[in-house]
Amino acid sequence: MIMKFKRFILWSLLLSLGTFVSLSPAQQSAQPAPASVEAVQVIGLAGLKQNTKGNLKVENGSLSFASSKNTCEVPAASIEDVVTAADSQRVIGGTVGTISRLAPYGGGTALSLLRSKVDIITIQYRDPDGGLHGAIFTTRVGKAESIKQALLAQGAHTSIPSQAKSNSYSPLHSEAMEQTN
Amino acid sequence: MKTIKRATILCIFIARLTATPLLCQQPRPVSKSPASAIEVQMIQPGEIHLPAEFQVALYENLVQELQKKGDFLQVYREGDRNAAGASNLVTLQTTVTGFKKGSELERDVTTVGGATSITIHCKFTDKEGNVLLERDITGKVKLIGDNLKATDDFAKKAATAAQETLAPDSTSSNPKKSAYKNVI
Repeated sequence: MIMKFKRFILWSLLLSLGTFVSLSPAQQSAQPAPASVEAVQVIGLAGLKQNTKGNLKVENGSLSFASSKNTCEVPAASIEDVVTAADSQRVIGGTVGTISRLAPYGGGTALSLLRSKVDIITIQYRDPDGGLHGAIFTTRVGKAESIKQALLAQGAHTSIPSQAKSNSYSPLHSEAMEQTN
Repeated sequence: MKTIKRATILCIFIARLTATPLLCQQPRPVSKSPASAIEVQMIQPGEIHLPAEFQVALYENLVQELQKKGDFLQVYREGDRNAAGASNLVTLQTTVTGFKKGSELERDVTTVGGATSITIHCKFTDKEGNVLLERDITGKVKLIGDNLKATDDFAKKAATAAQETLAPDSTSSNPKKSAYKNVI
């Protein structure tokens, strides 16, 4: 009696597992996993303070930034330009970073040498009234391009189609830089 | 003799009394028609290679500063359809004329080098296209802060210039306080 019961449980477990396994790949192929990265909103999104930390995600045709207090969504179709760039920032920033500059025996200077590389995502988009907005996000290195590609796949536009082209040599740009420097 | 002296003193006294109100009126600034709304156009890089993050940061900081000052009833963004119906609308057009991207690391280490500066030509025009004000304003970050802080510095200066010259209660402000050179 006990053996039959065990077999019944085993068969039911196997059947349910089989159903789950067969369904999972189908779901994955139908809807790609949304790209989501930790980011800092430097400026631009309404209702959020500057340098707010949060999670940047592209799903359901919009770019959403969720912080601990608020969530902002920008429809991908309203994005007129997405540009990525690279920069670096102090590892110890903010108020602590400012105070650390006063550390004795050159300690402040030594701390400022500790820098981390970041990716920058800059977008320009239109609100329902047609007003032009801009927003800047920083993410960890290598994350910006995936967000850009996800946005482009969902209807956003860009003035620089690929990163390779943006890094290409431009005589006009280099001349302009020489003039300003 | 005494009568002549008294008459002379009396004449001088009357002349001074008459002249005083006239002298007081002279230093008053000429009142301009105040603008109640402003439309901020996107920063134009011109011939300068300006990174996209600087362009957007300049624009957003400018809009935020103008809203924060509260001197204009409405601050419209470029392309906002509601701006068409606004009365006394001023349009702010900006073109970058100089940009030097410094280095935060250099600023931290040397404390004298690595400054970031952006010079922008600002043109305020009315609905008919008449130029109300033209100024070159420079935003800088010399010591503490990242490179984008220069955009915040520019925005504060530009908003102050707009407030002193074009905002509705600008007649009460002292024009001597303005530290910017008016091109016109």
